[in-house]
Amino acid sequence: MSDTAIDRIARRTPPHIARRVRGLSDRAIAWIFITPTILLLLAVNIFPLIWTVWLSFTNYRANRPGAEVQWVGLQNYQRILGNPETWQSMQATAHFLLWTLALQVAIGFALAWLINARFRGSDLWTTIIVLPMMLSPAVVGNFWTFLYQPQIGIFNSVVAFLTGADPAGFSMIGDVRLAPWAIVIVDTWMWTPFVMLICLAGLRSIPPSIYEAAECDRASKWRQFWTITLPMVLPFLMLAVLFRGIENFKMFDLVVQLTGGGPGSTTELTSINLKREAFEKWRTGFASAYAVILFVTVFGLASIYVKALNRVKAR
Amino acid sequence: MSGYSITEPSRRTKWLAGVLVAAYAVITLIPLLWIIATGFKSNTDAIAYPPKVVFTPTLEGYVNLFTVQNRATPAQLAENPPETWYDRIVADRGMVISGPSRFGERFINSVIIGFGSTFLSVLLGTLAAYAFSRYRVPLKDDLLFFILSTRMMPPIAVAIPIFLMFRWAGLSDTHAGMILLYTAVNLSLAVWLLKGFIDEIPREYEEAALIDGYTRFQAFVKIVLPQAATGIASTAIFCLIFAWNEYAFAVLLTSGTAQTAPPFIPTIIGVGGRDWPAVAAGATLFLVPVMVFTILLRRHLLRGITFGAVRK
Amino acid sequence: MIAFLSGLVRLRRGPWEAVASVVIGAGVVMLMQPWAFWAFSWSFAVTLTGTVLFVIVSHFPE
Repeated sequence: MSDTAIDRIARRTPPHIARRVRGLSDRAIAWIFITPTILLLLAVNIFPLIWTVWLSFTNYRANRPGAEVQWVGLQNYQRILGNPETWQSMQATAHFLLWTLALQVAIGFALAWLINARFRGSDLWTTIIVLPMMLSPAVVGNFWTFLYQPQIGIFNSVVAFLTGADPAGFSMIGDVRLAPWAIVIVDTWMWTPFVMLICLAGLRSIPPSIYEAAECDRASKWRQFWTITLPMVLPFLMLAVLFRGIENFKMFDLVVQLTGGGPGSTTELTSINLKREAFEKWRTGFASAYAVILFVTVFGLASIYVKALNRVKAR
Repeated sequence: MSGYSITEPSRRTKWLAGVLVAAYAVITLIPLLWIIATGFKSNTDAIAYPPKVVFTPTLEGYVNLFTVQNRATPAQLAENPPETWYDRIVADRGMVISGPSRFGERFINSVIIGFGSTFLSVLLGTLAAYAFSRYRVPLKDDLLFFILSTRMMPPIAVAIPIFLMFRWAGLSDTHAGMILLYTAVNLSLAVWLLKGFIDEIPREYEEAALIDGYTRFQAFVKIVLPQAATGIASTAIFCLIFAWNEYAFAVLLTSGTAQTAPPFIPTIIGVGGRDWPAVAAGATLFLVPVMVFTILLRRHLLRGITFGAVRK
Repeated sequence: MIAFLSGLVRLRRGPWEAVASVVIGAGVVMLMQPWAFWAFSWSFAVTLTGTVLFVIVSHFPE
């Protein structure tokens, strides 16, 4: 008889309980195993979600808990969707989203394609490239403000060295025109490896026999790329784009530390805008309606994402 | 694999690809190396123009990170000569240490909350993943999607009701509250990842055990768990990294006792301007463990970031 | 195309999910486009319709 902790617990279990456990049907075990997870998620996710929906129809303010709460119907939604400021922050998000996705897909795919040449040491370099992705966005974003300092920052020095501009002459996070690009650069630096890894998996899933067949048919490399490589990697690319899209749609920590939404409101992405409304202006009802709009958008995108996920899984 | 294949890239192509990838890797590494290097610079070196690549290393940044200091007159310094190496570093700048800073506490908070929530989410996640993997559960796909979608929600949007709920339940700024919250967020990842790992264990093993007279539960504990050990370990690391890095909930829901390191590090300010070496020292201590874990995890990285869908 | 239309008529999951995805996509684009304010104002209604549609049609038979 083995003597692990589990065996000891098993032996110490009173017989009547042990009998009951042994007699559990498969179905009972399934429910016993799943219930804690579902309960926790109900308490920490679903209940708050329903609460948010309810709050979104009221004028509740969290900094005045005693005040009378009034039902205001759809007024909060009308205010948000009729508010040019919200629209503005959506456009800032769109700029961030489009450029980060474009750059990450271009660079990520190119890198994956190069790594797929299987040169010596490719594993080592891949591991190094992947590092930024796993780090804390807030801490990294905070430190990038140092790299972006005019004159003393390494980023400005490198740019000055390459272009001959004055390193003290521009400020990536202080300039209204440059700040939207400052956040794009850091996000691209951080998340390109993500797209790269998924593209690499896509490239490696293509059986070499297909290329061999194409080679026999004398298809040019260019043609092979467009008719074999790209279509086969596309589901993977979709997955990467959707996931990065959702993540950057709700981007908060990196940008809030990097620019704080400034200068002015040029980099005030939706999540930062929402944080202002909810936790600085304390317009809880209004912010809840805002949150519901973001929820539904993300939920919709997530449904498409899971569809893409299942398609990749089928491969 | 044997010999010559027409799809194998030529040596020149390989060499060129290697150089380009290495170049990208070096560029991507510069900001990280710069953080680590800045932590060992003196304050003047850190903000020197042009930026200093070669410098005399000092532990000033680390000492400033862990201590609170007061200005001292030369007379006071002469009266209490510095005893330890860190006292000496501080005394050189005409300061005296008056006590430990909050960084240590915040770091320990990060450790407690990180490990606590990781343990819970892996425990609950393993059970749920096993059930989803092996049994017919009604509405399985819907439940799995529901579990995943909780992960996708914008944290700031979720934070509004959580903030109210925690205030009502007295969980604001407590370790228990944060552990519960991070467990809930990590559960989706744990369930999806572990389901993938458990799906890969052949059912025959358990069935053989059942024939040998094991109960379902014993089969789970003695057959499935050991087989899934690697999967469980890598899932745990993913959960740990997430909880370790999380900022949005931490900054909104904690302020004192349970504050973790990510909201704390950006608030480090020195005497007269930001103390960048101290910030860099804090960031280094905070980021390096994750870098080590990432290297350990490299085989399972792809799985982790795609919720177990892409296995390679 | 014909298969797609017959799938719609016979309430099959695949084509309907494609339709719902397009509606959601349109809503997201409307939300973030910089040209027409009215489109921004109606974006949420479109996204919500698409999302609800997706939840319903994902229970249609394959």
